[in-house]
Amino acid sequence: MGLLTGLRSSISRAASTLFSDEESKRIGIYGPPNAGKTTLSNRIVRDWTEHGDAVGPESHIPHETRRARRRENIEIERDGKTVTIDVVDTPGVTTKVDYTEFLEHDMEKEDAVRRSREATEGVAEAMHWLREDVDGVIYVLDSTTDPFTQVNTMLIGIIESQDLPVLILANKIDLEDSSVQRIRNAFPQHETIPLSALEGDNMDEVYDNIAEYFG
Amino acid sequence: MPHQCTDCGRAFDDGSKEMLSGCPNCGGTKFQYKPAGTSDSESTAEPAEPPEPPEPAVDSTVARTVGNAATAVRDLVSSSSADSLDDSGGQSEQSPTSVTEQRPAENHAQASARSEVVSRDELPPAPERFRAAPQTTQSGQTTHSPPEPEGVTRDEGNSPSKPPASTPDDSTAETADSQDDSHEESSRPDLSELRKELNDQFESIRVVERGQYELNLMELYDREEYIIALQEDGKYTIQVPERWND
Repeated sequence: MGLLTGLRSSISRAASTLFSDEESKRIGIYGPPNAGKTTLSNRIVRDWTEHGDAVGPESHIPHETRRARRRENIEIERDGKTVTIDVVDTPGVTTKVDYTEFLEHDMEKEDAVRRSREATEGVAEAMHWLREDVDGVIYVLDSTTDPFTQVNTMLIGIIESQDLPVLILANKIDLEDSSVQRIRNAFPQHETIPLSALEGDNMDEVYDNIAEYFG
Repeated sequence: MPHQCTDCGRAFDDGSKEMLSGCPNCGGTKFQYKPAGTSDSESTAEPAEPPEPPEPAVDSTVARTVGNAATAVRDLVSSSSADSLDDSGGQSEQSPTSVTEQRPAENHAQASARSEVVSRDELPPAPERFRAAPQTTQSGQTTHSPPEPEGVTRDEGNSPSKPPASTPDDSTAETADSQDDSHEESSRPDLSELRKELNDQFESIRVVERGQYELNLMELYDREEYIIALQEDGKYTIQVPERWND
């Protein structure tokens, strides 16, 4: 396996250098449930790929994404430079998953229980990806909610401990209750960029920073 | 056959009810008490009534037990109240007593074995066969006043704090049971908290109930293997790192 794997990786590395200036960076899109990670992923993919297929379905119901999804070789051009990234849309990370939460969204109990189990598996997968398979992190937060949570603190702490480059995105600035400053106050050590992934607001600044941080 | 009719000589086993209404043979109301050891000499009179033994035998063992119990209680208590027990089953003196005298004495012995001890105070270390009595004694104490936790803490020293579970009912065994129950309930939160703490420390995913999970993110992050499927009973399927890295 070692020989084959090495051969394959070297081939893919050679191939990637043919089409882009640098090796593709695998960027994990992390954050709590319902922060807009999939919406952002879909926007990035639609903005920078020809086919523009969605990474995954978006939903207002938490834990819509229960498996990590990856889109590879997304080339983002900024200032004449091309940055190639693999976008990994991860399930929302949380410390508790409760099926009763889904019942409020007109879901049958059995479906809610199954969703709960899958969401838990998804969190495990997301944490595993964070450990093994990402070169950088885009941390998405819903700017209408309090960022001072155990999950956010822990995840940012883990990311910092791994010395991974991280970009914090304050999403949903199109909503009234949005407060970007609250997020800046929570994580002053990191760059925080406001955006609305849904509306496409301020995406230019987002891409600038992606190119800068992960290029 | 500790009892013998003084008129016709008919013998009765200890605790026999036949003599309560007088001797069935002669109607005599006076009976002589004879301990088991001395009865051999007069065993000649007994063969007259062979059919009796089966029933009385049971009664005699019961009576003997009660008598032993009474003796043990008396020894333990060594109070004046025990003097009244002297007339009960296990005595050595041959004293002719009337039925009316004899019977109450036995009843009293039984009563004292059951109830008197209950109401009496300190009897902490009792013989094995008295296990029921000390329990009731404890419960009796506990129902009186809040010191009841003492007994509970002695049983299980694990629980440092417990709400004063005051059980107003005086029923002995039930009280003891309910005490245990209430104690278990009171100690449960501590255990569950401890369990939770341990789970928090060592378990990456805890199934609270069906469809409800608690996740330890650090554990999930730290573990080499990747959890790919959960089951309702808390088991999960993992993927080994090598396969993951293919």
